[in-house]
Amino acid sequence: MPPIKTDEFFSASAAAMGNPQLRRALDRVGSGFDVARRNAIDEVTTEVWEEWREEARQIKVHTLDHLDYYLELLHDNVTAAGGQVHYAKDAGEANQIVSHLAKSRGVKVATKSKSMVSEELELNPVLESVGVDVYETDLGEYIIQLAGETPSHLVAPALHKSKEDVAELFARKLGVPYQEDIEEMAAVARTTLRDKFMEADLGISGANFVVAETGTLVIITNEGNGRLCTSAPRMHIGITGMEKVIPSMQDLATFLRILPRSATGQRISSYVSMVTGPRRQDDEDGPEEFHLVLVDNGRSRLLGDPKLREALYCIRCGACLNICPVYQRVGGHAYGWVYPGPIGAVVSPVMVGLKESKDLPQASSLCGACREACPIKINIPRMLLELRHRTAESPDPQERASSRSERFLARNFTRLMSSPSLLAFASRAGRLVHRLACIVPFSPLVTEGGWTRKARLPLLSRWTRARDLPPPARRSFRDVWRDGLGQDDHGQP
Amino acid sequence: MASPDAGAAPGTPKSEFLQSVRDTLGRSAGPPPERYHRLEESLADLEQRAAELRSHLRENQGQLLDRFADMAAKGGWNVYRSPGVEDAVGYIETLARRLNVQRAVRSGQPVFDGIPVDAAFSNNGATITTMVHGDTATRESLREEVRQAGLGLTGADYALAETGSIVILPRRGLSRLVSLVPPVHVALVRPEELLESLDDLFLLRRLEYYRNGREMGSYLNFITGPSRTADIEMTIVQGVHGPKEVHLVLLG
Repeated sequence: MPPIKTDEFFSASAAAMGNPQLRRALDRVGSGFDVARRNAIDEVTTEVWEEWREEARQIKVHTLDHLDYYLELLHDNVTAAGGQVHYAKDAGEANQIVSHLAKSRGVKVATKSKSMVSEELELNPVLESVGVDVYETDLGEYIIQLAGETPSHLVAPALHKSKEDVAELFARKLGVPYQEDIEEMAAVARTTLRDKFMEADLGISGANFVVAETGTLVIITNEGNGRLCTSAPRMHIGITGMEKVIPSMQDLATFLRILPRSATGQRISSYVSMVTGPRRQDDEDGPEEFHLVLVDNGRSRLLGDPKLREALYCIRCGACLNICPVYQRVGGHAYGWVYPGPIGAVVSPVMVGLKESKDLPQASSLCGACREACPIKINIPRMLLELRHRTAESPDPQERASSRSERFLARNFTRLMSSPSLLAFASRAGRLVHRLACIVPFSPLVTEGGWTRKARLPLLSRWTRARDLPPPARRSFRDVWRDGLGQDDHGQP
Repeated sequence: MASPDAGAAPGTPKSEFLQSVRDTLGRSAGPPPERYHRLEESLADLEQRAAELRSHLRENQGQLLDRFADMAAKGGWNVYRSPGVEDAVGYIETLARRLNVQRAVRSGQPVFDGIPVDAAFSNNGATITTMVHGDTATRESLREEVRQAGLGLTGADYALAETGSIVILPRRGLSRLVSLVPPVHVALVRPEELLESLDDLFLLRRLEYYRNGREMGSYLNFITGPSRTADIEMTIVQGVHGPKEVHLVLLG
């Protein structure tokens, strides 16, 4: 698995917010993807859209509740079509399966179309270690492969790169003249990768869906690299999470309607490719072998957790990222693992461990925009709250998101607020302290206007670093009430 | 990580993997107690729905053709509605001349039996190769031919009014690469290939699947407009790995 940096969320997000180039890139996400998504929904009407969402959700609920049955059906039908199914309980096994296949077939060159699961497995270095040259072929993935980076968005992996970055990267890594024209840069990628496609012995793809009824793998792309990866080499390996199975081919109608609209605002992407087994004897072309690798790698923990199971309904459209006020400010890398944004903040703590990711469920204002944008109506805010609850209550101190001092404060705040006499005493004491502090020159509590801005207070400093602590009112509300506010014009309470 | 025994395939055995999923769900083996309605349909059900669909399509063909042409244009196709076969050939000939195509490839689909497209290229002094293999050796040479081609020509197995897509089923006579590798793709669509929606397509594919003893064919492709990317600064560029220019010649 790739390095897990989910425990660096605070420092990484602070750094991201100070990066003006990233800010510009993230602005494009909201104005580009999310506006396009809304327009696409308006075109079909909200009423129709809601029907599709409900239908998609019901299919996912049913399939995941009976996942073993549909995996078995899928297995039978992939096998009947001449393909082979492999099962990997973790990343190590999945990588072993693929590298074993590559080695035993003498594979020298592999081309890959975009696959988030293979990012999760960190497959490329493993293939390289058995002597396979691996080329990412999605333009965004190719860019970050050349740069030695990881994706920062589910749909647009190189979102964080400017055209100048890419121009410099291409000049340095591919030896082409530096130029910033985006069309020219796409042409460079086309020419460079065209040779690799034709040379490749192995094509690797992910899957957007796998259909149990027919044993069919479905991938949706815009560039055409997915078609080339599944058509040109002599072997095709599809790698996907076990939750991607759907029962019937008829179900695809709904998913093909919601996924492109939610991802990029398109009615449908340029290409939808459906692979059922290897090429048949008489076909003009296509791979001689087809393998499907079904990966668990922590998904069982979500499946077995009734409160978090719905995270597995995700179809990786990225709509929740594009609308999230936190993602829009910190970008994908701050989340520290493969899956960013609101859905990543649910998935990562379960897949890599709550101990390392306890800050991620806090990375949300719980505004609910992600749930509204989700085409499967996944209740992400509820799951974030659930995870916050777990980080607060965990018996393992390393899983707790709050520091000892925060818990001390919270406990005493509760005590204070549940006793009227204690509260009255404390507010009198607070007013007195504030009045005294106003006399002290350069007091850490007081700045202009009497407002206590970002007060450097012991214990409270993490809270007040980003928030103002208002000064106590001159008189408490209770006093004001007692002295007349609570009485009507006739002096009656 | 221990290396697997020689010969033994790595990974978890199917039975163990599925049992673990079953245990996680607290389920026992077997189908869901409430069966999934779509998997309960019989061949007769599908036949009947398909018959209803066909009569619906016949009755609404004119309107569906208009809608298909509109959606295809929105999807990025250059749409030409051809009144007759000669006009279709003329359109392709003009296009090939404008693009200065020297070499072209086409599929060996039946649609070309009635349309003399090869003349559109030979009139320009260009060559056109039909991508149908005889043996393994010709397979290799055809692969090289398609790389050199400036234009690829195919028919369609279905056309979808809902999305403006054509759907092809690569097989004997229809290479996967003709519509993909050359920088320009021209698709010929006949009215009888027209469907209204995604639901129609999947109904007919399922019907074929069960009729043919659970044989789906190896590949199915939706094509909607040109290849495109927005991976650099979300600026849309056409023709990154597939064709940058696509034409749809709609007969009738």
